[in-house]
Amino acid sequence: MIVLDIISWALIVSGAFFSIVGGIGIIRFPEFFSRLHGGGITDTMGAALILLGLMFQSPNSLVAIKLVMILFFLLVTSPSSCHALSNSALAQGHWPELDTTRKSKNK
Amino acid sequence: MIYIDIIILTLLAVTAVTVARIRDLWAAVMFTGIYSFIGASWMLLLDAPDVAFTEAAVGAGISTVLMLGTLALTNKAEKPSTSVPVVPFLVVLGTGAALVYGTLDMPHFGDPEAPVHQHPNPSFVERSQPDMHGLPNVVTAVLASYRGYDTLGETAVIFTAGIGVLIILRRDKRTAPDEHSSDEVVT
Amino acid sequence: MNSFPIIRIVSKLLIPYILLFALYVQFHGDFGPGGGFQAGVILASALILYGLVFGLPAAQSVAPPWLIEKLIALGVLVYAGTGVATMALGSNFLDYDALEHHFLTDVTWGSQTLHVLPSGQHLGIFLVEVGVGITVTSVMLMIFYCFAGRNQSSE
Repeated sequence: MIVLDIISWALIVSGAFFSIVGGIGIIRFPEFFSRLHGGGITDTMGAALILLGLMFQSPNSLVAIKLVMILFFLLVTSPSSCHALSNSALAQGHWPELDTTRKSKNK
Repeated sequence: MIYIDIIILTLLAVTAVTVARIRDLWAAVMFTGIYSFIGASWMLLLDAPDVAFTEAAVGAGISTVLMLGTLALTNKAEKPSTSVPVVPFLVVLGTGAALVYGTLDMPHFGDPEAPVHQHPNPSFVERSQPDMHGLPNVVTAVLASYRGYDTLGETAVIFTAGIGVLIILRRDKRTAPDEHSSDEVVT
Repeated sequence: MNSFPIIRIVSKLLIPYILLFALYVQFHGDFGPGGGFQAGVILASALILYGLVFGLPAAQSVAPPWLIEKLIALGVLVYAGTGVATMALGSNFLDYDALEHHFLTDVTWGSQTLHVLPSGQHLGIFLVEVGVGITVTSVMLMIFYCFAGRNQSSE
């Protein structure tokens, strides 16, 4: 059906756009925590949109339910892995660099 | 579509060269994980989901975790090499040239007249349905039944690797506190 | 990781899911991509995640090292034992057709006969994949125990 194809196209292209933006952000941001923030959010969003777009293409409901389970798993693990990364960075003494202080608090 | 093939193979080559050249070992382990992930995507492009699944699980999952665990015990960066390795370079060049010369005789990629497509494969695909009483997955049928002896050898290889790690690295609980206390006494 | 409640809760939420998925991949190898190697790796990664989040002593109380060492050998024993069993039943090594009717395959209830166990090939492939899965899980977990345990005892 052409409507399903258009919806899938829109979702997958926007998911790819978010992933590319996240990739550019990881390269271009100046500091670890801003890179982590930009990369983590756009990565989750892009992957979730791509999975939603694939759900409209599934031939039967079993494949769609498996994709829902993958989506749930991704939505839980991707932000918590960013959380684990930032926690371990803080535990090592690496603090975020703020705009108000020119000299960062890196030990 | 050939463009995806070219892009993924180029990424594979770039990642492999980066793993060999980079000196910071944390980044090298990460690039090894990326290499396994791109390799799994390449295998999926070649219509082999079983192998892609195994490569993603083992290479991008467990292998990265275990290598990071190893890195916690060793140096964090590779020492820079002091001399130019001439003899290894010549050996690698010679072996690579011999291999490339050997591939000139091979049949074209995906040629239906090639021997690898003639002898075992059609008979496996045709025979697996009546032989296996309705087992749909031909790959598992070949792996576990038609070539089950090879899989026994693979399992024995994993077993030997585990035994090797156990012999080198295991510390008995009884001796570890003794060594620790003796270090304190000496220093 | 004791002071990070989010990671502890997320792990408690996800580890049963990962274990269930490992069992699904192990027994679904007949119908789709899967089998012993992948399932063993996924099961080991679930246990390694538990060890990373809750500490190595907690993981070693769930899967004690002496048991894991025995399981490394048990997997290869199950695999080769299937081959020896087929030889004992009169056929070649690892020829699963010999396992065809030596177990309770047909149960007769009145006038109906039920096939309780699968055919010889199914049974042979099932046993072999179970052996591979046990060995791969145990070896990966044992390597993790060796590395993590060494780091703790050397510092």
